[in-house]
Amino acid sequence: MKYLPYILKHLRKNWIRTSTTVLGMAVCIFLFCTLQTLLAAIDFSLQSASAQRLWTRHAVSLVFPLPLSYKSRIASVPGVRNVANATWFQGQYIDRRNFFANFAVDAEEYLQIYPELLVPPDDRAAFLADRRGALVGRALADKFGWKVGDAVQLTSDIPPYQIGRPFDFVIRGIYDADRVKNPGADVSSFFFHYEYLYEATNRRTQAGNYVIEIDDPNRAADVGQAVDALFANSDAETKTETEGAFVAGFISLAGNLSLLLNAIGLAVTFTILLVTANTMSMAVRERRKEVAVLKTLGFPGSLVLGLVLGEAFMLGLAGGGLGLVLGSLSISALQSAPMLGSVLTFYPNLGLTTRVAALGMALAVVLALMAGFVPAMLAYRSKVTEMLRQI
Amino acid sequence: MSTEQPQPSAAAPTIAVDVRNVRKVYSRDSQRIVVLDGIDLQVPEGEFLALMGPSGSGKTTLLNLIAGIDQPTSGHVIVAGTDVGSLSEGALARWRSRNVGFIFQFYNLIPVLTALENVELPLLLTSLSRRQRRERARLALTIVGLADRAKHYPRQLSGGQEQRVAIARAIVTDPAVLVADEPTGDLDAKSAEEILSLMTTLNQEFGKTIVMVTHDPRASHHAHTQRHLDKGVLAS
Repeated sequence: MKYLPYILKHLRKNWIRTSTTVLGMAVCIFLFCTLQTLLAAIDFSLQSASAQRLWTRHAVSLVFPLPLSYKSRIASVPGVRNVANATWFQGQYIDRRNFFANFAVDAEEYLQIYPELLVPPDDRAAFLADRRGALVGRALADKFGWKVGDAVQLTSDIPPYQIGRPFDFVIRGIYDADRVKNPGADVSSFFFHYEYLYEATNRRTQAGNYVIEIDDPNRAADVGQAVDALFANSDAETKTETEGAFVAGFISLAGNLSLLLNAIGLAVTFTILLVTANTMSMAVRERRKEVAVLKTLGFPGSLVLGLVLGEAFMLGLAGGGLGLVLGSLSISALQSAPMLGSVLTFYPNLGLTTRVAALGMALAVVLALMAGFVPAMLAYRSKVTEMLRQI
Repeated sequence: MSTEQPQPSAAAPTIAVDVRNVRKVYSRDSQRIVVLDGIDLQVPEGEFLALMGPSGSGKTTLLNLIAGIDQPTSGHVIVAGTDVGSLSEGALARWRSRNVGFIFQFYNLIPVLTALENVELPLLLTSLSRRQRRERARLALTIVGLADRAKHYPRQLSGGQEQRVAIARAIVTDPAVLVADEPTGDLDAKSAEEILSLMTTLNQEFGKTIVMVTHDPRASHHAHTQRHLDKGVLAS
């Protein structure tokens, strides 16, 4: 500790260089934390998916619909307990910025398949009884200030669902989730009756997906294959997969997100490593005289090495701390950002976790120490007489 | 810090620095350069020795060997009873911090530290508390007459004042031997005289053994003894 003032004074001496290095490091840690938080949230959502549920979609792509007749045929497959149509509606509330997940579903079956959606019995009954009724998640209701009985209009930009006027809904229920039992459960979606969509579009629509509840999660692969076999060689072949795989596939529509985010993080980290290493090298090179003086006064090489690494450590600590603050603020800001914020409501546990924060801080310190290692070793190995001769 | 004057003794004086048959050879590429060739030198305790000689004669190399910041190729350098050549690098650093005070030509103060902090620097290697370190550093600054400049940074001091701070830094651990490499080489005549007077005081009143390398004949007159080096050999 007695060397701390010495270290801090050196960092303060070249405050512009120190500030820019800290800022660079902070940006790196901020990016790392933000990207890791997004990845962790996605991963958490995937892990929260039920192994007892399968999703069936068109074999070619999610964007192609499936015939409505498939529902009863899927229900006949041994091992299938329940089937519900779940069609992505892509409805917008007022304008495009108010994006949130909204599905047209076979309401009764869907609520049976998703018991974690907790709806008060009266609301449930009201929702099931009203063809224009909607069931919305608590987070979504809070965001828009909706309450039971409110009228809401949504307009879809998917051509088959465009009917020349908005779809009118009445909120009949607000669902919650048991955060202890199902910490990853979604409470930010909007569900309405498929029948309403079907009728409003003059019975032109088909099913987007089918969600299937099975008896035995261990037989998920067999049941999935049996479902797909039913429709093999048809005009609309299917692909059935577990809910986790389906969600992962949905996310992968944006490309290999994990690889992309990690690659960005790695590139930024490597750049900052080079920048910090350069800064530390400059700092030590400028202080060759000082290193010589310290060694002449009796400072052992290991202590000189420690002082240089100490400076690097302090840079890492400051950069990491600032990066965590920026990361934390940005994650909060992202959640309330237009469009993106609505997408992020899919991930109810989005936030800077202790694990990611600790990883970010560790990364900052390790980066700084790596950057400081070579100049510190040069200072450690330097010969006093040679350095004094250069003064 | 000892303030007692060394007492004259009828017995033979204790040798503070004993250089025995020292050779120092540098290898540059395939060339071997003999910088010091068979040097023998004894400096009694309380001596003020001026090492003189032309550039490249080996003065600074010999001073570095005495200060323990370099090691001889052969021979022995015994300072304050320790054979400097027998110590490992770490042990040598520890030994240096306790036994030798080094005064540079260009002062070499740490620019980000105040005068007091610069003087305190060698004491960081001791187990003294912060308060004790500060007290000692203030005492050293008082001895060199700069107590009122304790909070000044090197850039706020004149060359002579900087060198006095450097001297305070050299004496703060109360070393037996002070080595000075051209301590007046970067100073005007008045400041140089002040520094030399201060060194004389340290020698006479505080009993410090001083080995000083200098080109300046005026500086050498402050020393008790002058030795001349030429081409790596002690000429006189």
